[in-house]
Amino acid sequence: MSRRQLAYSLLTLLMIASFALASCGAPATQAPIVETEAPAIEQPAEQPTQAPVEEPTEPPAAEPAEKKVATFIWTQEFDTLNPYYTDMWFSTVTHQVWNCWAWNFNDRNEAIPYLVAELPSSENGGVSEDGTTITMKLRDDLVWSDGTPLTSADFIFTYEMVMDPNNTVASTDPYDKVASMEAPDERTVVITFAEPYAPWVGTLWKGLLPQHVLQPEFDTNGNINEAAWNSEPTVGCGPYVFAEWESGSYARFIVNDNYWEAKPKIDEIFFTFVPDDASQVAAMQAGDGDLGTFIAYSDVPTLQDAGIEIRTVFSGYNEGIFFVINDTNGEPTLPEKADSPVRELAVRKAIAMSIDRASIASDLLLGLTGVPASYWDSLPFYNTPPLENYPYDPDAAMQILEEAGWVDNNGDGIREKDGRDLHVTYGTTIREIRQDTQAVVQQQLREIGIDVELLTYESDIFFAGMDDDGPAASGDIDLMQWSDSSNFPDPDYYYWYCSEIPTPDYPQGGNWQYYCNEELDGLFATQASQVDPAERQKTFQRINQIFYDEVVWLGMWQDPDLWALGSRLDNVKLSGVTPLYSITEWDLTE
Amino acid sequence: MTRYIFQRLLQAIPLLFIISLILFILMMNMGDPVATMGGRQATRPADRIRLTRQLGLDQPGWKQYLFWLIGNDWTKVDMDGDGTRESPGTRRGVLRGDFGTSLVKRGVPVTSVIWERLPNTLILMIASEVIIILGALLIGVYSALRQYSLMDNTITAFSFIGYSMPIFFVALLSMYIFGVLFKRWGLPYLPTVGMFDPKVGKTVGQVALHMVLPVLSISLISFAAYSRYIRSTMLEVMSQDYVRTAKSKGLPRREVVYVHALKNAALPLVTIIGLDLPLLLGGAVVTERIFAWPGMGRLFLDHVSRSDMPVVMGILMMISVAVVVFQLITDVAYAWLDPRIRYE
Repeated sequence: MSRRQLAYSLLTLLMIASFALASCGAPATQAPIVETEAPAIEQPAEQPTQAPVEEPTEPPAAEPAEKKVATFIWTQEFDTLNPYYTDMWFSTVTHQVWNCWAWNFNDRNEAIPYLVAELPSSENGGVSEDGTTITMKLRDDLVWSDGTPLTSADFIFTYEMVMDPNNTVASTDPYDKVASMEAPDERTVVITFAEPYAPWVGTLWKGLLPQHVLQPEFDTNGNINEAAWNSEPTVGCGPYVFAEWESGSYARFIVNDNYWEAKPKIDEIFFTFVPDDASQVAAMQAGDGDLGTFIAYSDVPTLQDAGIEIRTVFSGYNEGIFFVINDTNGEPTLPEKADSPVRELAVRKAIAMSIDRASIASDLLLGLTGVPASYWDSLPFYNTPPLENYPYDPDAAMQILEEAGWVDNNGDGIREKDGRDLHVTYGTTIREIRQDTQAVVQQQLREIGIDVELLTYESDIFFAGMDDDGPAASGDIDLMQWSDSSNFPDPDYYYWYCSEIPTPDYPQGGNWQYYCNEELDGLFATQASQVDPAERQKTFQRINQIFYDEVVWLGMWQDPDLWALGSRLDNVKLSGVTPLYSITEWDLTE
Repeated sequence: MTRYIFQRLLQAIPLLFIISLILFILMMNMGDPVATMGGRQATRPADRIRLTRQLGLDQPGWKQYLFWLIGNDWTKVDMDGDGTRESPGTRRGVLRGDFGTSLVKRGVPVTSVIWERLPNTLILMIASEVIIILGALLIGVYSALRQYSLMDNTITAFSFIGYSMPIFFVALLSMYIFGVLFKRWGLPYLPTVGMFDPKVGKTVGQVALHMVLPVLSISLISFAAYSRYIRSTMLEVMSQDYVRTAKSKGLPRREVVYVHALKNAALPLVTIIGLDLPLLLGGAVVTERIFAWPGMGRLFLDHVSRSDMPVVMGILMMISVAVVVFQLITDVAYAWLDPRIRYE
């Protein structure tokens, strides 16, 4: 064999090996066949759940024509499917497909019973008078997808797994506030909090772990961190059940034959992972996807021109500017930054009145959203009576600054006071719309004599803690912008307390505004324990007023979730909390 | 030769050690892996404290590196936060083949995370590299043999247009034309994203079909560099005395070009390819992202953005080892191609 022939042969072998590797090396995490106890009559013959797929790389069997398969395009791949090991939105919103929450939320973001027979309340005895004890009564027809009964023991197990120190769960909130959890019988769960705890509807039971699957893993390894179920949740409790997850490509869910409610109309759901916004748009245009999400505002007209419906769903998030107020009851919290201009209320008010937020919402965000006046804008009940926005009035803003002693003495266009320029830093993450906004704000503040230095960071740097030199946590940025939500649809926040101000002893503190107001501190503590909504509403009325009067936060725009619905999808209702709550009713039409 | 290879491999050990140390220091300053945990909100302080401890991120940098290198199964760690190290460590360290587990896909070994993606990248990148080399050889040799001809100038112009276009532009444009517009016009069209249609399955035909646009994009922008290089080395070789001798001996033109000239011109090309090959393992970050190709480039990007140190270190060390190995292979190939070179 000549060298040339040898080279050709090697090349050919290399290519064949590559194809073989591609076909065999990255097997999809594929579910074993699910044993079903459902009567055969309820099982459509063409249902794929009965088709054993032994080879991960083997294509699914030939599809019957009538089989309905939907493709949802996700711009981020799940990190894990264990509900308690991730905070990732793209993973948690799938729970209504294959896992189960104790209660879901409808398209008006109202809690609706799901695993519970009825939502616990004071009226039905589910919530104790002092607000410390929640008693849940479960439905009596609940089963896991493998036919095992779903009981209160699964709730207790879930609680124990979340709280076990060897499990690296994403969050122990609110289970770390629980004093005891008991299951007096198979259908009852009694949760007793150490203190009255009002936000339980928005925080409890966002997913359930199957004890009969994970207990052996825990008993063997002392934790469930490496449990196969985390990435192959073959047993679930939703209308669909996990079938396979091909890393980087897609995850497939098929109908759960043991589902205790009406069977879904769509037979299979693919979540395909397309990380690029422009590619997502192209895929939707080409009809390769039935549902897209996190659509960039700039792509909305393109998609609408292609006949794709855009839905804006408010999920509690509001984009806003957080000021580093640096004030603890009148004294600077960070003495070394005592001369920061935004410590002055006049400067914060002037900033609020000199940014044309309505134009930003209408021009940059295409009028798809509005400007929130309240931090609780997305929860009208807790914004009653509704606050009025600071008006866009640059002249009045300049007047406020003049009266506060900020004047431009040297004619350079920047105001000064006591020998220092009115210079502020304004930082946010790399999200495109934020950078566009930064440019507009910089220009508008410059017009009233405020010099703005723009800073942009990757989110894992921007949101890093003080101990990791996170710029926001360290108080290095005067104006910090991001989008945030309460425990929506509950209005509670943890990070406005004085005790949350980061210090060298507590660098993880979440009060990056370095703002401590005794009255506000007390009000936040009070609302968290008020189980009477009317009383809680009154507390929030006062909190809202303090936020407004002190310009603690400046709302830029309501930050809804943008969904793109392909023309085949029918009967879609979306919630801001559990978007896919009505997935069983969705249908595909040709 | 065997002794030479052995020596080179020994030399690589301290080199890789230094590389790993530098990379680890850089990674330590990259960001906070528990800042958001992939969520839309900053991680709650109590969870941040707990996770930092459980994942060993609260340890000093030197200790984290030591655990990464030799593992922590010889000591105990504090999992419950009571200040007492009560739980035995479970990591065996890189030196014993344990690259740790991913912080993002918590609990999943780094080697599994990488292995899921590596073959996908190899198939895309090897196909691209083969097409680039073959295409560049054709263009380069043709241009060199017909220097300053109309065709040479045309090819040069087009290769430079391709070279100067950013890959995201080529990728998105080709996707829009061949994926969206062709479908709209009722013409045969190519798939927009993915490695295969999940509804059909991972067949060779599907993978090949989905490879067309990404390979085209990668190749289009890479032809110019290679073809220009081949053209210039060919021109240089073609003016050498031994080529003139071969011509004057009356050897057929084909033999003069491909046996005498190209083989010698290919020698420096081997260096370039040798340097490029290990980088193929890293994938094409932009192309994989745009075409949603489940390869190493996307894996790297996804995990870097969440400061997943174990996975990123695993990828970078794999590439470092590949660079060392391919450098050695390049040197050996030199000796094979040119008998004048001896490593004694």
